[in-house]
Amino acid sequence: MAAGVAAWLPFARAAAIGWMPVASTPMPTPPQDKRKAQDGLIILNVSGTKFQTWRTTLERYPDTLLGSTERDFFFHEETNEYFFDRDPDIFRHILNFYRTGKLHYPRQECISAYDEELAFFGIIPEIIGDCCYEEYKDRRRENAERLQDDEEMDMNNDVTPVNLTFREYLWRAFENPHTSTLALVFYYVTGFFIAISVMANVVETVPCGTLPNRSKEISCGDRYALAFFCLDTACVMIFTVEYLLRLIAAPSRYKFMKSVMSVIDVVAIMPYYIGLVMTDNDQVSGAFVTLRVFRVFRIFKFSRHSAGLRILGYTLKSCASELGFLLFSLTMAIIIFATVMFYAEKGSTASKFTSIPAAFWYTIVTMTTLGYGDMVPKTIVGKVFGSICSLSGVLVIALPVPVIVSNFSRIYHQSQRAEKRRAQRKTRLARIRAAKIRGTNAYMRYKQNGLLIDSLEEASKEAGQALVGKAASPPFESQHHHLLHCLEKTTNHEFVDEQTFQANCMEISVMNKSGSRASSLSSSPHGLSSCCSRRHRKKSSFSLPSTNNQELSTIQIRERPVANSRSSLNAKLDETVPLKCDEPYITPSMVSLSAPVVTSSDGDSSTTTAYSQSNIVRVSAL
Amino acid sequence: MDAKRVETISARVDAAVSSSDSVEDELELSAVRHRPEGLEQLEAQTRFSRKELQILYRGFKNECPSGVVNEETFKDIYSQFFPQGDASTYAHFLFNAFDTDHNGSVSFEDFVMGLSILLRGTIQEKLNWAFNLYDINKDGYITKEEMLDIMKAIYDMMGKCTYPVLKEETPRQHVEVFFQKMDKNKDGVVTIDEFIDCCQNDENIMRSMHLFENVL
Repeated sequence: MAAGVAAWLPFARAAAIGWMPVASTPMPTPPQDKRKAQDGLIILNVSGTKFQTWRTTLERYPDTLLGSTERDFFFHEETNEYFFDRDPDIFRHILNFYRTGKLHYPRQECISAYDEELAFFGIIPEIIGDCCYEEYKDRRRENAERLQDDEEMDMNNDVTPVNLTFREYLWRAFENPHTSTLALVFYYVTGFFIAISVMANVVETVPCGTLPNRSKEISCGDRYALAFFCLDTACVMIFTVEYLLRLIAAPSRYKFMKSVMSVIDVVAIMPYYIGLVMTDNDQVSGAFVTLRVFRVFRIFKFSRHSAGLRILGYTLKSCASELGFLLFSLTMAIIIFATVMFYAEKGSTASKFTSIPAAFWYTIVTMTTLGYGDMVPKTIVGKVFGSICSLSGVLVIALPVPVIVSNFSRIYHQSQRAEKRRAQRKTRLARIRAAKIRGTNAYMRYKQNGLLIDSLEEASKEAGQALVGKAASPPFESQHHHLLHCLEKTTNHEFVDEQTFQANCMEISVMNKSGSRASSLSSSPHGLSSCCSRRHRKKSSFSLPSTNNQELSTIQIRERPVANSRSSLNAKLDETVPLKCDEPYITPSMVSLSAPVVTSSDGDSSTTTAYSQSNIVRVSAL
Repeated sequence: MDAKRVETISARVDAAVSSSDSVEDELELSAVRHRPEGLEQLEAQTRFSRKELQILYRGFKNECPSGVVNEETFKDIYSQFFPQGDASTYAHFLFNAFDTDHNGSVSFEDFVMGLSILLRGTIQEKLNWAFNLYDINKDGYITKEEMLDIMKAIYDMMGKCTYPVLKEETPRQHVEVFFQKMDKNKDGVVTIDEFIDCCQNDENIMRSMHLFENVL
């Protein structure tokens, strides 16, 4: 909690005097310091290396080994010191954590040794400071991956879980071909057919000798048209079957159909079916030929088989802005030089630079230093500008390319790491929030215990036992809780945890809609009526606010609760009345002259607060 | 002639720029460092014993190695005690109350003087300190606006999750109650005498003033 600034707690408490004149209610009594600030030096002997520190330094973090009574197990009477048989080098960092509040990770230490020491001394690694946290997490991840690789090698002989449905099994087989031999066979067969199909498309266009009754060379595709058609049909059938199977097996069909790979699949097989449907019509045959071009997309189906292709596609996608910049700057340069060349060559006769767009081709060929030579400037001005164009082309193209290349590698590594860091962040925040909730829960529990401690001597045996169990709370914690309690008293409001607060707000809205819920509800001038009458979830009991002028018509049904249980409540009155009974632990009906003040720990019951200055006779009956 | 003047001006500007750079570098190098007065002097000026001053200084120096607290650090430290709400506004008022010479930073002497009053002072001194805290502009009168600011700052520290739910007008109502109690002549402001009188007549307040006497 605020243990890092524990030294400033006296200051914070002293400053609380500023609330006193404006407080609405009297303040709670401060906790008694049974051990009056024994600020002595403690000697910690770790495998021979002696460390010394103040006792209060160690007690800042009472939920660790050194800060709690657990260290007494290691006390060595003969030498009057605490002896730990652990690594002194790593202990140095652990002790620094107590001193400065920040835990650092030394880079030269082994990650598992460090983790073991942290676990031994009861320190959670999440509090490693930001300066060292990255390094720590990286090393830990590497270690975990190494362990996982070892495990996987052992696990390869394991049997896959048998309780998958056929659909899930199919999907798993498709996504992970190594799960079963059938999947592997299917994987290789499809790969083979993709290769065959692509090669067939290529070979189709090779000239294959002449037919006997023609002089022109014809392509192989036309010569062996039937063979190629059969091959194409076979490939397309395999692809279609594969696509349909994937579609059936996909857990989310809509998502599957939107994905890139499925689009590629469809585009790869569509031309064949369109070709089948269309007859050999002259009008549409032109379009049909165009469609054949799309068959080349089958080569993209290889990306399922090659992880490298997928990574390349992804990095291209993520590098889009750099590529866009390159394109934009090139376009600018092309337009400028094309314009210049056009106007420069306008004068010359039979110039190929008929228009600016025509000059684009010259500019692109020159800037990329290709220099086909189909368009050359003839005038001197044109040649001058042409040379400037080619020189600048080298620069304009050569400069962004290394940037893009380095961006590729950086983005690639980064994207790999960013995902993991995002996942870690969520868990880290969740743990910090849990610790915070634990802190507020500790405060709620303190309130309950504190009021128990102020109780009568005639507390029941159970209460006594409960007290014994809770008596040893660290002084820093109890003082901090007392401070928060004073703030509550000053403002007449109480701290509650999030769930209770949300529930209260919902109750308020429900209450406002449905009016008074029970006849035993009496209105309270405080405006607390909405919040206060709350049906206890576990038991049907009504609890009401009470103010000075009202009778208590509280009917409370109370069970025999365990310590820290969620007992139903009655109103809490001011604590200047010295006689207080701890209600939950005394079961039979009791007429108490004073206000029984009980707060429960976090949970379903609500605390009704009433601030009367007079005693109220309350009858609590079972 | 003009060209020469322009040249000299530009030269001077350049020199100023470069010198300001070097001055900036120097400022950054020498961090602010403050060493407190000796232990005997502090012992004489405050009501703490030697050991108590030692403990206080160790804690102080741990958090602020440079020897002075600036407002940001102060707010940071104070906020750690109230995780559920926003303690920065109240910390700001507290800072002004501790920073008696109004130089923007609280040195160890200021800190210890303030604590001495709060923990070991007479009732009169404590009430005086509280009045000083509430009187934001230090003009000797607490107006309703000042009190409303303080009250809002205190309620801010409670945060959102309270029972009963904090409403907008709660601080204002609280201020009204306070003024009804304190403002005897109903002139809209509370003077130091009214404040001290009224507090001395109020049992609860008197009792709570003794609450933190054994803090250290």
